[in-house]
Amino acid sequence: MLKYILKRLGYSVLVLVGVSLIIYFLTRLMPIDFVRDKVNSIQTSGATVSAEMVDAMYKSYGLSADAGFADIMQGYFNWLGDLVKLDLGTSFKYGIPVTEKIAMHMGTSFAIALIATIFEFMIAIPLGITAATHQYSLRDYVVTILVMVGISLPAFFFGNILRGVFGEGGLGWFPSLGLQSAGASLSGIDLLLDYAHHIFLPVLTVVILSIGARMRMTRTNMLEVLNSDYIRTARAKGLKEKVVINKHAFRNTMIPLVTSLAGLLPSLFSGAIITEQVFDLPGIGNIALQAMNAGDIPFIMGYNMFLALLSVLGVLLADLMYGIVDPRVKLE
Amino acid sequence: MEELKDKETVSRETVDTELPLDRNVRLMSPTQMLLRRFFRSKLSIIGLVMVIGLFVFSFLGPLVYTQWGETDLDESGKTEYTTAITTYTVGGVEYTLHQTVEKTMKDNFLAAPSAEHPLGTDNQGYDVLARLMYGGRVSLLVSFMTVILLTVLGVIIGGIAGYFGGAVDNTIMRICDILMCLPGIPILLIISSAMDGWVSLGWVEEGMRIYILMLFLTLISWPGTARLVRGQILSLREQEYMVAAEAMGFSTARKIFKHLVPNVMPQLIVQMSLSLGSMILYEATLSYLNMGIKAPYTAWGSMINIITTDPNILQNYLNVWVPAGACIVIAVLGFNFVGDGLRDALDPKGRR
Repeated sequence: MLKYILKRLGYSVLVLVGVSLIIYFLTRLMPIDFVRDKVNSIQTSGATVSAEMVDAMYKSYGLSADAGFADIMQGYFNWLGDLVKLDLGTSFKYGIPVTEKIAMHMGTSFAIALIATIFEFMIAIPLGITAATHQYSLRDYVVTILVMVGISLPAFFFGNILRGVFGEGGLGWFPSLGLQSAGASLSGIDLLLDYAHHIFLPVLTVVILSIGARMRMTRTNMLEVLNSDYIRTARAKGLKEKVVINKHAFRNTMIPLVTSLAGLLPSLFSGAIITEQVFDLPGIGNIALQAMNAGDIPFIMGYNMFLALLSVLGVLLADLMYGIVDPRVKLE
Repeated sequence: MEELKDKETVSRETVDTELPLDRNVRLMSPTQMLLRRFFRSKLSIIGLVMVIGLFVFSFLGPLVYTQWGETDLDESGKTEYTTAITTYTVGGVEYTLHQTVEKTMKDNFLAAPSAEHPLGTDNQGYDVLARLMYGGRVSLLVSFMTVILLTVLGVIIGGIAGYFGGAVDNTIMRICDILMCLPGIPILLIISSAMDGWVSLGWVEEGMRIYILMLFLTLISWPGTARLVRGQILSLREQEYMVAAEAMGFSTARKIFKHLVPNVMPQLIVQMSLSLGSMILYEATLSYLNMGIKAPYTAWGSMINIITTDPNILQNYLNVWVPAGACIVIAVLGFNFVGDGLRDALDPKGRR
């Protein structure tokens, strides 16, 4: 087991090196003059970055105009070296270290994703079970069609519809933008309620969009389990249908569900770019989108590496969980 | 059970006991069986109708609906009245002055739906219905090209990995692992900002943006298909008919593309129709983020982008942006229904 984990860890590091190469070279596709212009415009507008900082950045990324291949590779290794030390450089746009900026905004994204995930599981699993136990009935069709519509909705379309209907100007039940009421100085429980009021629509968007995949997964697994011999045995010995479904069948569908929990890791921390953009939330996704529009290279590279790290960890955790949850699986 | 099986594999016509069995039953090819089972599901038919409907709407629609083209501005003019109320006091008496200013503008923008514009006009004076059709062409074509390209790439790479195995397979699979860890939209955002630079230096034209972005999307999204093909081929290449192909001395390319790939086709088609849905979503999202096709041309996602420029449109001019969103949903839903229907029809366990 330990050997397996170590092997997988080493392998994950290799994947991350590959990812970092790709991200570095994609960013290097940006023409240098263009980057210089962008940096200049950021400096003239905000003036948060000192000239020395920018120079140091150019140098460390090998971003001088006459950079040859060796310089570019040198830049990559410099960046990789800093990366190992968890130093992602200083953001051009925000003027503070990238890691700090990411940490600052991760909370908002994490809160939204966590609440959305809890609701997603609470709704999707019962739906999946009823759809499976009533296979090919009207109920199955209605549930399947509804969640399929959810899967097919683009986040920016559904989010804006919710804003239009329930936000200010529409029914006015919820604020359409932002995370806090402007100008109000709230504290304690009031502040928490204000947050809840603001993130209701974003969370609803995320839940509706993601429910489908989870529900279909539950349904498929449940159907597979319901066809197995031990379910027939359970029924044959006269157990109540409720017990058969909830105790014998559902517990066995937990394996893939729990495994998929580990795969959720990236989505919990990475931020929903589009949803955050639509509702103008100060989450990590929206911040990254603005940084990318401004050509903020350190932030772009840092954010993408952060996402890649999360998904590598997610895959690793999912594999390990699989071995823990299902004793039949032997990790080698 | 027996009765079901009969229905599946053969369809009995008039049974004549005199004739030998093979004349009495009509044999169905696997394709016929697949189609029959596909069309038995109502959802598959609905999906197919949705997809075909959108194609007809986008590609044949403009031939019928000819009064407005994609880039025709309605220049019939628009008159706006703004009322200003001023209050002033003269000698202790309060007077209120209602002043109405008439302002005439060249373009008839944000017109309400009427006989002339069935879905009204957008904030610049383009006819929404006409642009919905032309935008659909862009959205559907771009997504189709992407899916075809990534499937070809995936089949070739996955075929090579599965057939040769060993070090080749290992290398290709490791590359797949790396590519699968790349975040989709953020990577495209990097490329899009790089492209801002290329455009400013005149290396590429702004109009090429969405095509280049989708090309990059192809380059990072083939691993799914490659894995599918590889997995199938790994199990297929142990079969006897492959030993026979070997004995016949066929070339490697012939063995891969004539004998192995056709056997992966069914799964590939399912994969393709499901990825069409997700590519339409990708294209729409990029267009919504203003990285789509260049104005005055449009795509469905770009038509929704209008609400970010003018918040007034979000609530007061639903006719401008909701139809485009509905088209995206119909397209994605249609492809998902078709893909699911095909998958169920192919699943030997799912027979009923």
